Amino acid sequence: MSQSPHRRRAATAMIVAGTTLAATALALVPGGAATASSHREAPLIADAPAYDNTDVYAFVSPENPDKVTFVANWFGLQEPNGGPTFYPWADDAYYNIKIDSDGDAVADTTYRYEFTTDNAAQQNTFLYANGPVESLDDENLLFKQYYTLTKIDAYGVETVVAEGQAAPSNTGPASVPDYDALIEDATEPVGKDGETFVGQIEDPFFLDLRVFDLLYGGDLSEVGQDTLAGYNVNTTVLEVPIDEVALNGDGAANPVIGVWSTTDRAANVTFGGGVEESSGDYVQVSRLGNPLVNEVVIPVGLKDAFNAISPDVDATIPAVVERVTDPEVPKLVEAIYGIPAPATPRNDLVEIFLTGIAIDAPTLDGTAAPIAADLNSQILNADADPKTFMPSEMLRLNTAIKEPTTLAGEPTEASRLGVFGDDIQGFPNGRRLADDVVDIGLLALQGAALDPAVVTGPLSGGDEVDANDKGFDTEFPYVVAASNLNVNDEANSQGDGTVAQGRTNAPATDPASSGGGMFDFLGDLLPGVMTGAAGVVLIGAGAGRHLREK
Amino acid sequence: MTGEPRSRVPALLVVLGALLLVGAVAGALTARDSTTSPAAPTAMSQPSALQQTIQRTQDALRRNPGNAPLWAQLGASYVEQARISGDPSYYGQAEGALDRSLAVEPDGNGEALIGLAQLANARHDFAAARDLGERARELRPYTGAVYGVLADAYTQLGDTAAASAAIESMLGVDPGLAAFTRASYDLELHGRADEARQAMQRALSSALTPADVAYCRYYLGELAWNAGDVDGAAEHYAAGLVAAPHDVALAQGQARIAWAQGRVDDAITAYADLTTRVPLPQYLLEYGELLESAGRADEARAQYDVLAAAQQLYASSGSTDDQVAALVAADHGDPAEALRLAQGEWDRRQSMFSADALAWALHVNGRDAEALPFAELASATGWRNATHAYHRGMILAGLDRREDAIAALDEALAINPNFHPLHAPDAVATRTRLESGA
Repeated sequence: MSQSPHRRRAATAMIVAGTTLAATALALVPGGAATASSHREAPLIADAPAYDNTDVYAFVSPENPDKVTFVANWFGLQEPNGGPTFYPWADDAYYNIKIDSDGDAVADTTYRYEFTTDNAAQQNTFLYANGPVESLDDENLLFKQYYTLTKIDAYGVETVVAEGQAAPSNTGPASVPDYDALIEDATEPVGKDGETFVGQIEDPFFLDLRVFDLLYGGDLSEVGQDTLAGYNVNTTVLEVPIDEVALNGDGAANPVIGVWSTTDRAANVTFGGGVEESSGDYVQVSRLGNPLVNEVVIPVGLKDAFNAISPDVDATIPAVVERVTDPEVPKLVEAIYGIPAPATPRNDLVEIFLTGIAIDAPTLDGTAAPIAADLNSQILNADADPKTFMPSEMLRLNTAIKEPTTLAGEPTEASRLGVFGDDIQGFPNGRRLADDVVDIGLLALQGAALDPAVVTGPLSGGDEVDANDKGFDTEFPYVVAASNLNVNDEANSQGDGTVAQGRTNAPATDPASSGGGMFDFLGDLLPGVMTGAAGVVLIGAGAGRHLREK
Repeated sequence: MTGEPRSRVPALLVVLGALLLVGAVAGALTARDSTTSPAAPTAMSQPSALQQTIQRTQDALRRNPGNAPLWAQLGASYVEQARISGDPSYYGQAEGALDRSLAVEPDGNGEALIGLAQLANARHDFAAARDLGERARELRPYTGAVYGVLADAYTQLGDTAAASAAIESMLGVDPGLAAFTRASYDLELHGRADEARQAMQRALSSALTPADVAYCRYYLGELAWNAGDVDGAAEHYAAGLVAAPHDVALAQGQARIAWAQGRVDDAITAYADLTTRVPLPQYLLEYGELLESAGRADEARAQYDVLAAAQQLYASSGSTDDQVAALVAADHGDPAEALRLAQGEWDRRQSMFSADALAWALHVNGRDAEALPFAELASATGWRNATHAYHRGMILAGLDRREDAIAALDEALAINPNFHPLHAPDAVATRTRLESGA
């Protein structure tokens, strides 16, 4: 190949310009949108954490046994760094809580939060607040977010909160001296008998992520932090009468509901074929029912698909079903600990994750359901039609179980291990704030539903993190005010930091604790109003039965 | 190669390479500490979100070297880092991490395929990107990034229908910044500038990081600039710099604004600064052409020579851009080389971009009759591009089609009277000459 004339001169020019170039090479400044070429390179990795579901909780209201409480969280791992960083809700999204009361895997009731941001006061600053914020309408709060809450069901669309306001991010004691006052301020009535709170809270989820390093060779959060202690999350807490979400409005006859949350994002740009529309299209970008499903059950290659589909599609996707009937974690446990994995297909897990626990729960292979109890499948509802029942992944709650209750139907102390701690009010029957879902999930995967020995076996310690670092409250909204301590500050890394003053934290009890691990925990705190009277616990033929022992 | 003492160019590249390719041990976790501030007075005090992600992914991989998705994520993050920093040495690291991901999980590894497709696009190997992207689509039909790499590849390969379809799919699974920015570009290429602006505004509204804000502001500025709206462009560049004060692309936008407003010395100073900060071929070319338009031919020539070295540096990182090289050769005295490069590029991909480059290369070789069909192809989608219109006008002038040539040159100047420091005045002069019948 022959050299071009000016390329031949390059050598000389380099002596002149080379110093320039050499100097530049070290001074590459990050943060540019440089185009290296004629080819436009657009971003491909754009994080959008505001749309991510992190957890869903559903439990009978500790304050009123006729009501049910839903806690749905989004936008995890918010670091309270006391600085200018804050964590807004997205304006171009629907934040949904969905309820399936008849078991056909289609939502019968949807509660939808939609946000509108007013940051007009922020015009010439990036600050969130320019002084202490003592109430939601404080003029020092420069970034205000309002929402509407609509209820969508067979009767149509009803606005149940016309204009609520979200409590702002807790940007530190200087800006937010008393977050609890803001929680109070941000609690809105919903209809006649309900209420809701929207704002930032300390993430109630607790676990030691290292358990996933060990078992999973993975990194649950892709963050590499070992704990969620001290991180905040955006939450919607909603409490409504059980009859409002039960099949045929009759919570007594139809006490079981399925719950999941989703985020829909607006795809509203005009595009394609010159057609003047595309606006108004909302796309489901996130979905969450049972905890840990997207981390432990769904393989990495299906995560995006799982987030996009609705529950009625779950059972038609072999790869999803196989991960339930033939899960990976027990094999890893067998490889690491030598504990034999339970025999497959795991129809016990099909019940736990896909149908709810019931003697007549439909299995996917037509065999009899293995767990001999009627606990939390919609098929147990008196008015449910078994012919329309569709296995699907969602959190299922039997609202007839009003308090911690044994399998035998006796009142008991709440157990962090829920059903596996002989407390059928807890996970996988719904999910209370203090249920230790990592340990319960591991026990379930190891076959505890069919073999009680698993609960006291070598894995009983689970991840050794048995409770959240903050106690939960006994009063609505039950969750804990947002932390304002910097998580990554050594001084705060013990997880025992104080948050807001003046909260009535329930006394610590920890009947099933197996040691504190690396943190000094306050213990297990369960919302539970002990009435001393055993409620109607199990419905139908399964009442009083124990889990079948093998 | 002829007998010049050419060893000195490679020697210089070795020096440059040593500086740019710091620690580019393919895939090694001992990559240079991404939190180290560059040795510039304008050093950023905080690592960017992307740098933090890279750091965390590296930490997690030290604990779990057998995690294929994490390796793929690291690789994709390096490609993104190359895009944002303009530093091609990240490509090698990306390749290493992605290969490692595939080694750990050879089957069904959609994440690694997406990363490799992204890398192939960045290196202008669009056919490979398309093939990798199509394999990834089979595995990950709900993953937005799949359609992102496919849209980028099909756009550059000239299959605009497939590109638009990919973006439509992307909006259907992951309507976020990455989809909105691509929708905007696709609309722009189809001559739908208003909708392109709306889509980029939509992207801006979902931008979180300073880099993403800067990207959206830069291209909103470009949409204004390419439509001749100097003030509107200036507003966007300035707004972007509030979010990302050190952004080089926005500085380049402002340098052109200075030139358009008649502040030529300011423009030259700004280009001197930004080519010092990031010696991208595009910036070196624009700097040289700006100097040339100001009558400073020797300084311009020096920049063109630096440009040649920079192009070799990119080539050494596996990234070739023969299309730009062809235009450089055509405009700066090497017609034969221009035609060789443009023909090669056209053989690889038949896009509006490569059609324009080939048309221009044929023109500077005096082959206007052959050039015209390619010039017409370049505007077939309705893209209002002043440079393409200018090229077409000059080709028509060479064919003595006066009326058509004047119309094309008028079109170029109507789209953006400031489209180029050398070509815009040439378009005016040629037009005048044609009008006078000379």
